[in-house]
Amino acid sequence: MTEEKIAVTSESTALPRKSFATFPVTRPTLALLLSVAALILIVPPLLDALYLRVFISSVIFTIAATGIAVLYARLGLVSLAQVALVGVGGWVTLRMWHATGLPFEVNMLTGAMISGVVGMLIGLPALRMRGLFLALITLMGAAGFQILVTGTQFPNGGEGVLGIAVTSIFMPRPVLGESDEAMLRYVCVVAVLCVLFVELNRRTRPGRAWALIRKSEACAMASGVNVAFYKAWGFALAGFIAGIAGALLAATLGVLDATTFPASESILLFALTVVGGAYNWLGLVLTGLLFRAAPALLNDIGVNGHLAYVIFGAGLLHALITAPTGIAGQILEGLKQLTKRRVGR
Amino acid sequence: MYGVFLVAGLALGAIYALSGVGLVVLYRSTGVLNIAYGAIGALGAMLAWQLEQMQYPEPVAWVAALLVATLLSVAYGRLVAPYLSYREPVVKAVATLGFALMILGTANYFWVEAPRRLYLFTDTMGFELLDVHITGTRALVLVATLATTFGIAVFLKHTRIGLLMQALANKRELSSVLGVPVIRIETYAWLISGFLAGFTGLMFGDLVRPNPGALTFLVIPAIAAAIVGRLESLPMTLAGGLIIGVVESMSTLIKPIAPYRSIAPFVVAAILLLWLQRNRKLTFSGHD
Repeated sequence: MTEEKIAVTSESTALPRKSFATFPVTRPTLALLLSVAALILIVPPLLDALYLRVFISSVIFTIAATGIAVLYARLGLVSLAQVALVGVGGWVTLRMWHATGLPFEVNMLTGAMISGVVGMLIGLPALRMRGLFLALITLMGAAGFQILVTGTQFPNGGEGVLGIAVTSIFMPRPVLGESDEAMLRYVCVVAVLCVLFVELNRRTRPGRAWALIRKSEACAMASGVNVAFYKAWGFALAGFIAGIAGALLAATLGVLDATTFPASESILLFALTVVGGAYNWLGLVLTGLLFRAAPALLNDIGVNGHLAYVIFGAGLLHALITAPTGIAGQILEGLKQLTKRRVGR
Repeated sequence: MYGVFLVAGLALGAIYALSGVGLVVLYRSTGVLNIAYGAIGALGAMLAWQLEQMQYPEPVAWVAALLVATLLSVAYGRLVAPYLSYREPVVKAVATLGFALMILGTANYFWVEAPRRLYLFTDTMGFELLDVHITGTRALVLVATLATTFGIAVFLKHTRIGLLMQALANKRELSSVLGVPVIRIETYAWLISGFLAGFTGLMFGDLVRPNPGALTFLVIPAIAAAIVGRLESLPMTLAGGLIIGVVESMSTLIKPIAPYRSIAPFVVAAILLLWLQRNRKLTFSGHD
């Protein structure tokens, strides 16, 4: 406890007071920045081509899980359409590039914004309802997107609004991420920016409103919080982040395929967010790794990929019944116990 | 021409409706929306297919499918659900998602994606009605759905267990204080729901295809039907399921929207949901 206080004061002296008030660099954020810096410098050259790809996609789905975590950890809402929204972001990004040829970052932000609007629209019918109906509506949304996108396909450089061509034209990587190594660094940087953006929301007005809504909607409303608006804001933020993830996926692969975005993937990503831990960034990193790297690893040691589902399902039940903060929560709690014991001694 | 699609739509809609009824019965008495419903039926149907391939007589396959589905459902209800009985409905629903993933993983492990067909004796039966040939399976689905919905409504209203189920649906804590044997009544609900899951799994396996993934995610349109009934009303769920099935089937006839016809459940559910809550205000009393 005392140690924590000392650490905070030493940081606050190092920073201008105002920035501390609005956006304090706490220990978890610092740890995040340091570990990502380490990842960016050390890891990419050590990986072979396959695992570079696997890690790029793990980081991308860590970003997507960040959106799920906003709704689940801050508002207690269950969104089962996140991978579908990733698909929306990817679709718009590809469409934008084929139509305009603008730089990737512009297309990415456009895709993210449209995906945010779609996320808000899916959540809208459920604004006047409680948790369960919202979860079900998002599930319908995910299933609906799967059917729509199987019919329309992803744009690959053809004519018309849908832009389907017989031979695909690949969207080029962003300038800063042309090789796989550079792309891994690029997605890591974007992931950190997304986590920080969510953190910024959490520590400012929306975050305070969410905290009150989570405690009691009645109290929130009585204290003048616009419940519907801040819930919708949560959906929009989650959708925006999913859109970023979709754009990065489109950039990494060049073309997208409807088979990447079935409803089952949305469900799985949600389950793994709970298993990994929705309450801090470590959990989200674990989610990304479980979603994409764990199947590859299991495959390497000869375990059938379908059995991973059994493990994930059991993990979800275990997390819901006994470990609400997920694996990350347990790890951090364990570390805290260790340090506490050392101080006590 | 229209008749063929109408009959196909009614049969499909009946499966949605019957699954929806199974979901609603369970939700009303236990507060659990069982997302593993499709997966439970899937394992039953796959087992039936396997037994058929191994040349066992067909009744064995039927019994195995229904028994396995019922057992899975009751096992979850007795062993896992009690740990979550005091959590919010959405947490209970998400937990069944975990169960669904476990069953789906197991089923996919034993039965990899492949073209298969499940044959039931009702396929060879059939009759003509208004120039349309109706197979025994389709007729069976329709009759079973109507009879089950009616039967369950009567059961809830006129038997003691049904009455106790309704008591649980209203206030779980109060019922237990008044001496309602909560766990036993809930077990009945899991049993009924599991049996219906097994039956709908078999029917869907026969009418569409026996494939673990497809059967597991059949639960999504079934949930759409249950949403039409606001997870409460059996007649509305029945109507919702049938309407969804007919709309989905008839859309085949309209060229531009034909590829997207399986989106019908979600469109119908979303429209009805918006319409049903048109006069509601955000309030804080009542339940989900």
